Amino acid sequence: MNSNTLTSRMNSPLDKLHAILRRDLLTAIRHRSGFVVTLVGVFTELAAFYFLSRAIGPGFRPNGVEYFPFLLVGTGVYTFFVMSAQAFLSAVQEAQQTGTLEVLMTTSTPPAELVILSSISAFAGNLVNLLVYLFAGVAVFRASIHANFFSCVAVLIFSLAIALALGIAAATLQVAFQKGSALLWLLGSGLWFLSGTMFPIQSLPRPLELLARAVPLTYAIDGMRRALLEGQSLMAMAPTLAVLAGFGVVLLPLALAGLSLSLRRARQDGTLSFY
Amino acid sequence: MDQVVFESVRKIFRHRPALFNWLGRERGGETIALKDVSFSAGRAEVLVLVGPNGSGKTTALKLISTMLLPDAGSVRVGGFDARRDAGRVRRQVGIAVAAERSFFPRLSASENLDFFAALDEVPRNERARRIKEVLRDTGLEEQADTLVMKFSSGMYQRLGIARALVKRPSVLLLDEPTRSLDAATTAHFWATIRRLAQQQTTVLLATHNFAEAAVVADRLLLLHRGELLADRAVGNGESADALRAFYFRMTGEIDEAMGTIYRAGTAP
Repeated sequence: MNSNTLTSRMNSPLDKLHAILRRDLLTAIRHRSGFVVTLVGVFTELAAFYFLSRAIGPGFRPNGVEYFPFLLVGTGVYTFFVMSAQAFLSAVQEAQQTGTLEVLMTTSTPPAELVILSSISAFAGNLVNLLVYLFAGVAVFRASIHANFFSCVAVLIFSLAIALALGIAAATLQVAFQKGSALLWLLGSGLWFLSGTMFPIQSLPRPLELLARAVPLTYAIDGMRRALLEGQSLMAMAPTLAVLAGFGVVLLPLALAGLSLSLRRARQDGTLSFY
Repeated sequence: MDQVVFESVRKIFRHRPALFNWLGRERGGETIALKDVSFSAGRAEVLVLVGPNGSGKTTALKLISTMLLPDAGSVRVGGFDARRDAGRVRRQVGIAVAAERSFFPRLSASENLDFFAALDEVPRNERARRIKEVLRDTGLEEQADTLVMKFSSGMYQRLGIARALVKRPSVLLLDEPTRSLDAATTAHFWATIRRLAQQQTTVLLATHNFAEAAVVADRLLLLHRGELLADRAVGNGESADALRAFYFRMTGEIDEAMGTIYRAGTAP
């Protein structure tokens, strides 16, 4: 292999990522009203949580923090996870409806690489939304935070593998059963209830609390609250980070294997473009 | 060496009714799309696939592109098996599908081509030149910066051909490529096909247009109900009428067609 070919092979994933990010950015920008609608949605949701926490009063301090920041981080992280999976699912659904999925599967890019690169784009968009959400919560609604930057970044990075697995699982369900939206809605409701988004999981009956402890999102939300609201150090966060890493190591290969299997079966059955 | 080899290929589509389909009439079953079909295509050869709707033409093209996997037999492209070496096969194959809207609607024609070219690993420093070239070949130069959501059916179809060409495949698969094209674009496209064959590209083209077959084909494959009825050379200067007569003779469809015409009272 000569050096030009080698350089070209090394540049190839970056080049593809650039192409995917550019496609998604141009599409988002050209949906003129999309950004404004998102912003209005963010402020409406935050206002609702702000007044809910005021109505409940300052006496309620879940895990020792004020209720509004508790809600801000819980709903922000939950929305980041579920919307990332939703973005993934929508991309697959849209590709099935327009016929681009079949064509994408005939390009030189292996399906798994394509999915991972697409997910980076989906996460980048939702990460911007999460940052806007948290920033608005702090700047406009005066949520008090004591952030440890490195711990926040570490929680985010370890959570990404889990969010990626969730997104790939949603895409797999869409390819396999063409009913990914319904299943994601069901899964999203379960996660919302069990992951401590709105209230501490210790409030749940014991069996449900144990179930909540088996949900990876619980640790992502709890970790982000401790990093962002309590400023806990990396050392103090180590057990939570280890659990997040463990979930990622197990779930991501499983999700990729499931996707690979469902794509192969769709190619065998001729159902790639069914929706 | 043959560029494309189909060896006893069988493809069956199994229909699974929906899980909770108590009210509907949908039942399970299967359709045999291809029954033990074998053929090969050499380098620089143009093979035209003809046959009635549902005869298996598109299925054959999709199997070569790796969009579908065979149930039995093997499909090889450039010596690589489409099942085991799908990645290597994809690097060699470009396909223009019949679905017109398989593009990102809020990207322009050149942005769409740039996206697919990147996924096909066309080097970045060559991409702009190649995109310009294929847009010129398909008559879309003036629409390069138009969002494809504003395209007509014919323009979508031309863009589909441009997408298949931009990676410079050694095997080009075209599914009814001139269905929505105007006469001038069609003539230009046929010239492009012959030029590509001269440049050593193998072309497999599915069509219902016998004039197209007469102009571009080196060989004609006739599929009927999933079976290969004929695999024959197309003579230099052989007319569209001669090919159409061959098609009707082989499929027996002429009797059915004439019956319909007589019943409608429009026979000459």
